Amino acid sequence: MSSLNASLSSALSGLIAEQGALEATTNNVANVNTPGYSREQPVLVASDPVVLDPLTFGTGVTLQSVESIRDPILESQIQQQTQGQGQFSALASALQQTQGNFTTSSSDVGTEISNFFDSINQLSTNPSDVSLRQGVLTAAGNLATSFNTTANNLTQQQSSLDLSVVQTVGQINQLTAQIAQLNGQIGNLQNVGENAGTFVDQRQQAIDQLSSLVDVSVIPTDNTLTLTTANGAPLVAGQQSFQLQTQTSPLGLHDVYSQRNDITSQITSGQLGGTLQARDQEIPAIQTQLDTLAAGLANSVNAVQAGGFDLKGNAGTNLFNPPPVGITGAAASLSVAITDPSLIAASSDGSAGSNGNAEAMYALNSQPVINGQNPTDYYSGIVFNVGNDVANASAEQSASALILQQLNDQRSSVSGVSLDEEAANMVKYQDAYAASAQVITTINDMMYTVVNMSTLTG
Amino acid sequence: MRVNPDPYPDLLAAVATTQQRINTDEEEIASGQSVNVPSDNPAAAAVLVQDAGQTSQADQFQRSIGSVQGEMQNADSALDSVTTALQQAITLGVEGANGTVNSADRAALTTQVQGIQSQLLSLANLTYQGNYVFAGTATQTAPYVLDPSSPSGVTYAGNSGVNSVTLGNEFSLQTNLPGSQLFSASGTDMFQSLQNLINGLESGTGIGTAVTELGNSLNSIDTQRVFYGNALNQLNTQQTYLSSETTQLAQQQTTVGGADLTAVISNLTSSQASLQATLEAIGQTAQIDLFDYLK
Repeated sequence: MSSLNASLSSALSGLIAEQGALEATTNNVANVNTPGYSREQPVLVASDPVVLDPLTFGTGVTLQSVESIRDPILESQIQQQTQGQGQFSALASALQQTQGNFTTSSSDVGTEISNFFDSINQLSTNPSDVSLRQGVLTAAGNLATSFNTTANNLTQQQSSLDLSVVQTVGQINQLTAQIAQLNGQIGNLQNVGENAGTFVDQRQQAIDQLSSLVDVSVIPTDNTLTLTTANGAPLVAGQQSFQLQTQTSPLGLHDVYSQRNDITSQITSGQLGGTLQARDQEIPAIQTQLDTLAAGLANSVNAVQAGGFDLKGNAGTNLFNPPPVGITGAAASLSVAITDPSLIAASSDGSAGSNGNAEAMYALNSQPVINGQNPTDYYSGIVFNVGNDVANASAEQSASALILQQLNDQRSSVSGVSLDEEAANMVKYQDAYAASAQVITTINDMMYTVVNMSTLTG
Repeated sequence: MRVNPDPYPDLLAAVATTQQRINTDEEEIASGQSVNVPSDNPAAAAVLVQDAGQTSQADQFQRSIGSVQGEMQNADSALDSVTTALQQAITLGVEGANGTVNSADRAALTTQVQGIQSQLLSLANLTYQGNYVFAGTATQTAPYVLDPSSPSGVTYAGNSGVNSVTLGNEFSLQTNLPGSQLFSASGTDMFQSLQNLINGLESGTGIGTAVTELGNSLNSIDTQRVFYGNALNQLNTQQTYLSSETTQLAQQQTTVGGADLTAVISNLTSSQASLQATLEAIGQTAQIDLFDYLK
């Protein structure tokens, strides 16, 4: 048998539920601009009915939960793409700095190579002239300085990238600690059946940030998350975070350690991956090419010197100090070995007026003395490589930015707050609330009728 | 499908991209170059490095040609004076060979020929920018010194070395003739012929032979002087070639690395229009949602 009281309680449940639903809307509207916020949706369910044979009566509505709307697959794609984006933007910005050294100027290595050979050609027209000899020494000095400056700039850039490695590791540790803490808070709420949506959003936001720094794998476990690097070094397990460490390598650069294992070479993605790629691969590759050029030039010029005679008729000695064996550091250490211009071995027959050896030295300009290429061609190859690396990294960065933008659009279309939708919901909940209130008023009237019945009879 | 309710990130990304394009275009217009850093066009950047190297080389060849020209013109005009002096000596010799001249006349002629000898000595010891031009490669010491003990009256202290200078790609030019070949070749030795004439004028015999010898020496020098004439011609030709090469290199530089200003400016204009449109779109999207219509 139904009763007015039962109806009243049903109507009341409507009031409460719609009010709760309106709260979700209010929260959505309030967070319309909160980054990473996922819109909440109230889950309304009909309360369990009461069965009074042969009739079944509904007992109203319950606000079962408030659900945050998100797409886990999309989230994981976004993480992936964020890693790539972090990697390529770190790489592109590092290499963009590098290519400044290889932009044509009045003192880049290419220009100084030309100047050096030009000075030898001039000397060849009057080999006994001391001022022309001085011109060759000056040009050789400028060439060495240009190599030194370029090599030092590269080393300096490597050091600043190294500093950035240390800083990035610090940021990673902060984020993993934060995620571990959020894992705890989420677990606590979920254990008592509460909606942890806001914390989940914050954690997602932190994981996105972490993804831009390093290659993260997310492994969801019961009520919590485990994070590792793509190669399995642990970052977060439940409420515990595992700090990454840095340690100075024999090269004076910082290696990244996880649980006492050197994982530097395994980090391939995220800002840390990009920075390490620039620091450990791209810049050293350019340094090696520069060293090859410097050592090749110095050795071939010295060899020609040794085959000729100086102004006094003595056998020629080194013009450049011999580059280190194994060429590493040749560009940084290239220097002129002589200060006396008469020591340039321009002569091929021992007479002061002979230019035969100056001609031989000039000919190096067009001979395949550097890995099968002439010096200028080899240098133009370096310029091409550097430019190409920057162009590729920038293109990858733009491409991944575009994909990331599309993914974020998709995420926003799933999880973003639409004010139109919220306004419509608000109207809907408000109407339902008003209707429930109207029902209560009506029941109240009916109650009144019932209560006054006794007065009539009495 | 639910529509993305937040268009701003896309719009802002579009603004950033357009702004980036505008910056690049403005940089191109300001520098006149489409390749400002290697990554703008790596292949073009490499070509420009080689182009700059070749341009620098061509400019240097022009300067070197200037130096070589100076020396060779001096040598050539010295040889002109040498031939004039030799012709004079021949004239004096012919005069001395005439049976009507007496010993006093011959002594006077001898003095004149001796004057020519010292003139030739000085011409053969010509210096240009501190170098003895006819000394082979031993340019720091005078190649000819007076030496009464020598049959020719002089000794040659130079060597037979020659220099060649690279003055173009695949172009190298010999820049000197040593005195040993030019003046003192056996059989046409200019100083020997002259000494023979002096001896003849002094003794009164063998003057005719000496005159013939002088004629041979003169011919030899005239023939060899062609070397300098040819070289100077070649230098002129090479100068012309190099300046056209420089022009070509400059053209290549513009083709490869120059900004196509018409295209860039037109791009810039359309980028600016697109930026403006995007910004207007942002301004308009902003305002409306359902809340505005609820009373």
